[in-house]
Amino acid sequence: MNATSRKDTTPILHAERLSKQVISGERRLTILSDLAISVFPGETVAILGQSGAGKSTLLGLLAGLDLPTGGELEMFGHRLADLDEDGRARLRAGRVGFVFQNFQLLPTLTALENVLLPLELSPRSDSEQRAREWLTRVGLGERLDHLPKQLSGGEQQRVALARAFVTGAELVFADEPTGNLDPDTGERIIDALFSLNREAGTTLVLVTHDHALARRCDRCLRLEHGRLAEMHLDEVSA
Amino acid sequence: MSLSVLRLARFSARGLARDLRAPDVRALFVALALAVAASTMIGFFLDRLDRGLTRQASQLLGGDLVLEQGRPFDSELRGTLEEAGLVLSDQVDMVSMVSLGDAFQPASLKVVDGRYPLYGGVHVDLGEGVEVVARGPSPGEVWLAPRLALLLEAEIGDRVRLGESELVVGGLVEREPDQSAGFGSFNPRLMMHRDDMEATELVQDGSRVEFELLAAGPPDILDELAPLLERLRRDGMEVRDVRRDRPGLGSALERAERYLSLAGLAAVLLAGVAVAMSTRRYVDRHLDTAALLRCFGATQGELTRLFGLQLLWLALAASVLGALLGMAGQAALLALLTALLPMELPAPGMLPLWLGVFTALAVLVGFAGPTLLRLKKVSALKVLRRELDPLPASAWLVVAVASGVFGGLLWLYSGDPALALGLLLGGLVMLVVLWGLGSLLLGGVLRLAGRLPRDGAESGVTQALRLGGAQLARRRTASLGQLLAFAVTFFAMAMIALVRGDLLSTWEAQLPADTPNYFAINIQPQEREAFEASLSGAADARSALYPMVRGRITAINGMAPREAVPPEARGDNALRRELNLTWRETLPEGNRLVAGEWFGAEQQVESTGWYDEVAAEPGVERVPISMEDGLAERFGLTLGDTLTFTIGAADVVGEVTSLRDLDWDSFRPNFFVIFPPGVLERFGHSYITAFHLDEAEREVQRDLVRDFPGVTLLNVDAILAQVRDLLTRVTRAVEVVLAFVLLAGVSVLYAALTASRPVRAHESGLLRVFGAGNRLLSRVQGAEFAILGLASGLMGALLAELASAALYLAWLDLTPRLHLWLWLALPLGGALLIGAIGHLLSRDLRRQAPATSLGLLGET
Repeated sequence: MNATSRKDTTPILHAERLSKQVISGERRLTILSDLAISVFPGETVAILGQSGAGKSTLLGLLAGLDLPTGGELEMFGHRLADLDEDGRARLRAGRVGFVFQNFQLLPTLTALENVLLPLELSPRSDSEQRAREWLTRVGLGERLDHLPKQLSGGEQQRVALARAFVTGAELVFADEPTGNLDPDTGERIIDALFSLNREAGTTLVLVTHDHALARRCDRCLRLEHGRLAEMHLDEVSA
Repeated sequence: MSLSVLRLARFSARGLARDLRAPDVRALFVALALAVAASTMIGFFLDRLDRGLTRQASQLLGGDLVLEQGRPFDSELRGTLEEAGLVLSDQVDMVSMVSLGDAFQPASLKVVDGRYPLYGGVHVDLGEGVEVVARGPSPGEVWLAPRLALLLEAEIGDRVRLGESELVVGGLVEREPDQSAGFGSFNPRLMMHRDDMEATELVQDGSRVEFELLAAGPPDILDELAPLLERLRRDGMEVRDVRRDRPGLGSALERAERYLSLAGLAAVLLAGVAVAMSTRRYVDRHLDTAALLRCFGATQGELTRLFGLQLLWLALAASVLGALLGMAGQAALLALLTALLPMELPAPGMLPLWLGVFTALAVLVGFAGPTLLRLKKVSALKVLRRELDPLPASAWLVVAVASGVFGGLLWLYSGDPALALGLLLGGLVMLVVLWGLGSLLLGGVLRLAGRLPRDGAESGVTQALRLGGAQLARRRTASLGQLLAFAVTFFAMAMIALVRGDLLSTWEAQLPADTPNYFAINIQPQEREAFEASLSGAADARSALYPMVRGRITAINGMAPREAVPPEARGDNALRRELNLTWRETLPEGNRLVAGEWFGAEQQVESTGWYDEVAAEPGVERVPISMEDGLAERFGLTLGDTLTFTIGAADVVGEVTSLRDLDWDSFRPNFFVIFPPGVLERFGHSYITAFHLDEAEREVQRDLVRDFPGVTLLNVDAILAQVRDLLTRVTRAVEVVLAFVLLAGVSVLYAALTASRPVRAHESGLLRVFGAGNRLLSRVQGAEFAILGLASGLMGALLAELASAALYLAWLDLTPRLHLWLWLALPLGGALLIGAIGHLLSRDLRRQAPATSLGLLGET
């Protein structure tokens, strides 16, 4: 999928002149500056960058988890600046999924319960059945009642994948999804992620420093010195 | 989108069910269940004990309410009382001669009806040994006191003459349930049925007869009747109820109740501290959950409701368990007590149950509320940046909310807003002082730890102390919090022990083993020396012989007594009857001057001449008198006020020159009014004394009756036994309550350990990585807890000493004193106890591999 196949010209995520500064001691640090991005429905977009480039900060802003210090940001056509914290939460509910580097599974919840967690916030009659189905799709149909500590890293990340897609999210953010996994396991997780994404027709915004992973996306953007630059897929070395 | 109430309820219940595995939730559950158990058990127990004790006091009195006047009661009043739900019994008291053949004796008649006795039973020998029966004599028969039978030489079956009737001696009364009520009459008892009264023709116009209406019923009826009773009192009728009539028993009861409530609140406060500690860990553990939920779209309101509901379910479940425990506790306690003591307690009411549940919710809101609010402030960004924790709730806010709620509970339980406020403010001041003191103490520990030798030669203990101290000092704020919590635990335990010990010792001091059990009255002046000589060999302890003159108060400050005193004192016994007056050179034993001065030498005038001068100009020359302060207070009198006494045909005007506090529970002769020597000697007088005779020396009683036939001996063993009984009962109750306070204290310890577990695990893990062995880890943890225990013990002792002094003065009416043992026992006991328990509970941390321990920190 690429820009030419965008069926809808309204971006699902749109940012202009986005900037983020933080105060560190007495110094003002600029992490993001005059940044622009548009993500269209169904796209898969990778944001590449070195450690400390501000990838996670950008992800936090794009997902409405944090507020920029300047610029405009829209998600699903809503200006995030117009919404308070609760308003932004409501906007995410059921429409946005997340996959984290450290999985972020709750240790006292079983695999099934972890997947059910976002469904608790989006009333559905078939929550549990849905959660079971998604866990089965990621190959954990037999491990529903296992606690995270009884699962391997790869299995934990698969639970997290099921959790990200179970609500029928339109937009999934993934923050270094293979960062805590060995290369082979990471590869399998990525396969699963893209496969699920394809099946669900979800928009995926992926933050990584793994070029191999980035190359599987429709578009690649490099975050450098606080700005985003479009990369040609050929530029992304393996 | 928002969560429906039902969905939220289900979601929160499921979350709680999953959470039950977590130690902090268990600690929270245990603490809340204990708070409920303590408050319901004490609530139930107090409720039943109170009603039981009141009933026993009622037994001493003859009823819950006793009305007394010189004429029969009208049917209107009867109707009102019966309509209100009271059971009535009539009684008539009078003195009359009774004869058998040639023998005549004055007897104190007690005429009872078919409902007598309303409470308890009569110990009577009906011919086959002493038995307890719940009735009085039948029509046609009389029951005599053994002494009266002895004097009349009467036996069961004889016919004695009483007025115009002849009645059969049906039994010998050993003990009446309400016999203390007959204290005023010194003649031996004769009991008869009311139906025989008319035939005796003893009640004539002008004869001195007291009609009594005894009523039994639940306390709430008495409360409802309060306005009516007040009016009757104002009209001059003597109205006695269980709480007013016997000051000795009343104050013991009151102290017991206050003490039990205090102990109950101590348990609730400790449980509150445990709740506060567990909640901190609970919140820390759920920050990630909250952040994830924020991420998935939960609003702040939904988070608040979600976690609030989780804890609400927990509190309700804990309430059910706590209430069951409380019910079981009080049932077991009562089973134990009932087996030991013949007092049947009424069934428990439902109110304490609701009070228990309410207490749990209040403790939850007060001690967990502000900390819980931290969850809703979690930023969704925390899922990406773990360090983004919301700021902990302000310590001020936590303390303010907890204080407010606890103050409310204090008020609820004590029923005294001023006292609640006083205790609360005192506690808060102490908290600030303790915080400062705790900081200093920890600073000291830090310095000490830094100065311990670090060379290779240091002993294991030194090393453990140094490392343990350093760990404490590193976690300064958390350690300070734990130190204060343990200090509060020790403080509460010490308070219970202190108050309990002092209460009992006060009671025991009031009733030592040689407390006089006999009163001898009507000792004539010429018999005085011989009587004293007979007693001096036989009695273990005796009071002085007090001369006694009977006189009536006929004017106060020149006005009719009833007009001079406040309305509520118009029916006072002291105005209705002749008072026993005495004279004395020195202040009697057990009396304490509270105002004015005792008679000086110039006031102790020779017994001739001085009184004549007074009598010649009445109202000009006044005699100094010393008055009991309680009576003076009731009458609204103070130093300089005058009372006119009519003694025989003469009047004596006394000016109050001193006020005395005295102990009515002492079983010694006590006097409302004491004159200086030289005033009353010229009036007819007799002597009174009190002494103690052991069971083995009872033959002395026979000798005394034989040698001094005119002297009346009054045995008060039965009354003493009843009072002792009461004290034993209360002591046992106190011990059971103490157990609950200790349990609550242990829950604090458990909560504190649970709360600090991740940090401790991390520290142990690090030490392990650096090569520390099990032995060293064990010592370091032991040392850390021991230091905490020692410091907490010191603070607990200080707190207990200060608070007990304040409480004793303001609330319990006891004299405060320093308790040196406390300063030794608490710090040493604290170091040992906390050291041992902490060491034991962190056993599994030492068993963990360092990787696991280190991984624990920061995990949810």
